Formats: sequence, structure tokens, C-alpha cells
Amino acid sequence: MREMLYGLRRAVSSPNRNARTAVVIGRLLGAAFTICLFTGLYSHFLQDPASWMRFPTSPVSLYRFTQGIHITSGIACFPLLFAKLYAVMPQLFKFPPIKSVVEGLERGSIAIFVAASLVEIFTGLLDTFQYYPEPFDFRQTHFAMAIVIGGSLAVHIGVKLPLIQRYWLKKNSYDANGDFITPEEDVVPPSAQQTARARLAAQDLDEAGLRDPALVYSKGLTDDVVASRPPRGVVGRVFDWIDRTPQVDKMSSRRGFFASIGVTTAAVVAFTVGQSATPFTGINFFAPRKNGYGPNSLPINRSAAAAQVLETAMSPDWTLTVTRGDASNSFTLEQLEAMPQYEAALPIACVEGWSQMAHWKGVRLHDLVSLVGATEPESLKVTSLEKKGGYRIMLMGSEYVHDPSTLVALHLNGERLDIEHGYPARMIAPGRPGVLQTKWLSTIEVLT
Amino acid sequence: MSAPGSARTARPAPSVPAGGGPATTIVRTALISLGVLAIVLGAWVLQDTVSTKQIWGLVSWLILAVIIHDGILSPVVAAISIAMRRAGHRIPPAVLAILQGGVVVGAVFTLIVVPEIVRKAKGPKNYTVTPLDYGLHLALLWAAVAVVTAIVVVVYLRVTRARRR
Repeated sequence: MREMLYGLRRAVSSPNRNARTAVVIGRLLGAAFTICLFTGLYSHFLQDPASWMRFPTSPVSLYRFTQGIHITSGIACFPLLFAKLYAVMPQLFKFPPIKSVVEGLERGSIAIFVAASLVEIFTGLLDTFQYYPEPFDFRQTHFAMAIVIGGSLAVHIGVKLPLIQRYWLKKNSYDANGDFITPEEDVVPPSAQQTARARLAAQDLDEAGLRDPALVYSKGLTDDVVASRPPRGVVGRVFDWIDRTPQVDKMSSRRGFFASIGVTTAAVVAFTVGQSATPFTGINFFAPRKNGYGPNSLPINRSAAAAQVLETAMSPDWTLTVTRGDASNSFTLEQLEAMPQYEAALPIACVEGWSQMAHWKGVRLHDLVSLVGATEPESLKVTSLEKKGGYRIMLMGSEYVHDPSTLVALHLNGERLDIEHGYPARMIAPGRPGVLQTKWLSTIEVLT
Repeated sequence: MSAPGSARTARPAPSVPAGGGPATTIVRTALISLGVLAIVLGAWVLQDTVSTKQIWGLVSWLILAVIIHDGILSPVVAAISIAMRRAGHRIPPAVLAILQGGVVVGAVFTLIVVPEIVRKAKGPKNYTVTPLDYGLHLALLWAAVAVVTAIVVVVYLRVTRARRR
């Protein structure tokens, strides 16, 4: 068991797999995880707020920014997480595997941490292109696992803090020779074969050159030659074969490692971030959305067919009903168009990460609800024509209701609102997720 | 030269922060306690919002993730690395590192893009989702990685040869 674990550990050891490289990658990954956690929590509470919560309506692109960062750092986590797991892989093979109950719990918590992180970023990636092969609900699980991962990260940093401090700086991590200074408890003894070969090498001898049966050597030398031979058994031979594999050059190994991870991280970000950051549209090769592509030059998430509104939304009898207590007012499309029209540049920013600035024209929501006597702190319950779906009913806090840029939009990017974008009328408010920019409006109820 | 994996005794380097001072202990205690509380909270949120059947589905995916990573990906990476070290002992180590770097870039992109290709093949919910030709782009990416890797190797070899003269 001991030899097996030491053998495995020697087999996977490399100059770029040590506590220092783990600390360097860990700092970046920790930052990416923290950014994902907090931007994710912001998105979560925007969609599912506690009653006392109010959100900023300016800058109008705030959510576009936070959610773009959320998805982009999530994608950056792929190379960083693999690099981190790669750097710490020799730690899998410890002897003894578990020294105490506390260490057992710690290793267990790391197992959960690693498994949850892998599943979290992978299902998160799949969500960006609306792919749900997992046998569990994405949104609830993503949220609950994020809390578990945040907690596991805190535990992990707490446990490893002395090691993190020890290897925070490069100058404390490598000796004058450029060799990593191994922590005492991580030193793996060389195999008997390696020790014997090292002794022979010290005398400028190679065991392969000492096979002549006619020659007789001193006892010590003979013992070393015998001990240097590969052990019996397949496993022993394989380990010995690996042990005799020339070690890579340490500087090339470490520089290559960091350069590979750096280039990969930069590339996955650069080639996908164009779905939310306009300057990168030209090199958007892999994102699931493309800016400017779709009806009214804007992508869509839920189609009119999927929402089953093709008939109701196109009906000439359509009206938008605005109510407050007993007061009720219904508006036809012509009546809405006869009201003062305002323009606003507001982004559509989706929870799935894509976003795009768009130009809207329509009726100010504040004007509309004032007609039924709505006052400053009142919030709304907005219902769509959609037959079903989690976002058919949308609650809107008073900060959005009375913001002058919040519109009941009738036009988009210089054209009549397309059916796919919510014809005849949709809501558009600053700083909110796309799922709350209700399309195919039916009723607006002022909550008093 | 030290043998691979040989014992190097832990030597204290100059000006190493002591670690384990009272401030560190306070921070560690706070992080671990907060972390455990968050894990418990997360577990509670999970059982509160997700059905038992789905939790078992999640557990199976968690186990699967560890098996795929620790049981398949890691050993394959380790085996490739050993094979390259043995086969490439006449190749300059930096060139080996550059080649491995190219493989890393391509492999990570493949992992991220292949599910997207699968999703597109199954038919997206509307035409604005996955509008690009991801298979073609991935092939072009591998070609670009091959070209860039070759250029970097050639430049590296020329520069080191020029330095040696």
C-alpha cells in the first residue's frame, strides 16, 4: 500500500505540480469563483427579491455588465480549474491516506468541493446554450451548489492558509537552484532502486554496464547492482519504468504550464465574450449568441411559438389593461401610439450571459400607471399573454416603475416590435435581466 | 542531478513568513466556521427547493464528475506526459513544453465547444441560439493552434541557436 501510493505519487510528480503553482493558480481561480458567486447572487436576487430589496436603475447596463462578467469568469474557470486540479494531483496519493478524523473530514470536503465545482461550471456552460441533459433542475441546483461551493472555498482557504502564506511569494518557494522547496510532510522517499542507482551513479557507474558475469565486484557494489534492478511483478516494473523516465527541465516545465494556462484562459474569454461585449463581436467564434443576429437585429430567448401567443398577440382585439384597485383602463395599440412617445437606449441582458444594447420607442410606464392614479412607491404585477412559463407573471419594484427610461415599448431598433420580441407591446426597464423584460403584455396591475 | 522524485529535505528559505501566528489562527477559524455554515445552508437550500429524486440525480452527476476527472482525464494526462518525456528525450525540453501547450489549448476548447455542437445538432429552440458553425470553427482553431505552435517552435529554435553562436 505504502509503496503503491509512493509509486503513484512519484509517477505523477512534475516540476509544475507543487504547492507554489497551486497557490498561483488558486489565487486566480479563487478570484473567478468569488466574482461568479457575487454576480450570481446579484442576478438571483434581481429575479427573486426579498420584499425590502431595491436595486439600482443606473447605470442602465449594470446587469449587462454583472451577468456578462458572471458567464465570462465562469468560462475562464474551465482552464483555471483544470490547472488547479492538475497542480494538486499528486496530493491524491498520500501515505498514510488519512492521518486523523479532521484530515478525513477535510479530504471529504475537498471531494465535495471538486465534484460540485466541476458540475457547477459544466451545467452552467450548458445553460448558456439552453442545454439541460442533467437529471435535476438547473436554476435551483445552480444556486444551492454555489452556496456550498462558496462555503467549501472558505473552508479550503482556512485549512490551507499556512501553506498559502508559505508559498505566496516566488522567492520563498524555490531554492537557489530553482528547485521547489517541498514541505516536510510532502517529501516522498525515493524507491530502493532509485537509491541504489544514485549510489552507483555517484561512483560514475551504470548498472547496465555491470552485467558481465565473469567479473566479481565488492559486496557493497554487488548489493547495489542487485537492488537497482527492476522489482518483480507488473506494477513494480511499471513504476520502475516510470521512475527511470527522464525528468523534464524544471524551468521549461513551469513556464510552459503557466503560458499554456494563460493563453487558454485568454483565448476562451476572447472568443466567447463577444456575445456580451460589443468590441469583441468580430472574434466571437464560439459563443452561443451573436450580437445583431435575430429579428429587429436582436437575438431572442423565448419564441412566440414556444410561448403560444401567435394568435392572441396578433389579434385585432388586443388591449393592454392597467388596473389599480377599482380603477381600470384598457388601451388599444392605436391608443398607446397616440400617447407621447419616448425613446430609450436600454440593453437586453440575458441570465444566460448574452446581451446587446437596443433602441426602444414607446410609452413611458410612469405615464401609463399615472392614468389610474399610481403614486411614487407603488410596485406592479405584470402579466404576459404567455399560456404558461415561470416568467408569465412578473413583479416590478417601484424603482423601475417610476424610472423615466422604463417603457412599454412598441418599436425596437427603428422598426415595429417583432412578434418574437413581444408585439404588440413589451416592458423594457433599465438594469434588469431579460426574463423580467416581459413580452406580449396583457395586464399591468398596480399593487397598492 | 537528483533522481526524479528524490527526497529533498525541507530547507527553510530566508524571510519565510512564520504562518500560524495569532492573526492567522483567527482568520482560519473564521473562514472554516463561516464555510461550514455556508455548506450547511447550501445543503438546506438544496433539499428545500429540489425534490429528493433530483437530489439523487445530482449526487450521481457529482460522483460521475469525480470518476471522469480523477479516473479518466488525469491518468490520461499523466500517461501522455510520461510518454512524451520518454519519446522526446532528444527534443529540447522547451519545444516539448510548447507542443504540450498547443495540445492544452486545443483540448480545453474541444471540451467547451463539443457540447455546443451536440446541442446545435439536436436543434435549438430558436434560430438565434447557437447560430454559428461551431464544428468548423473548432477545426479552424485546431489548425490555428498547429500553425502558431509550429511558428513558436521555429522562432524558439532560431533564437536559441543565435544565442549559442
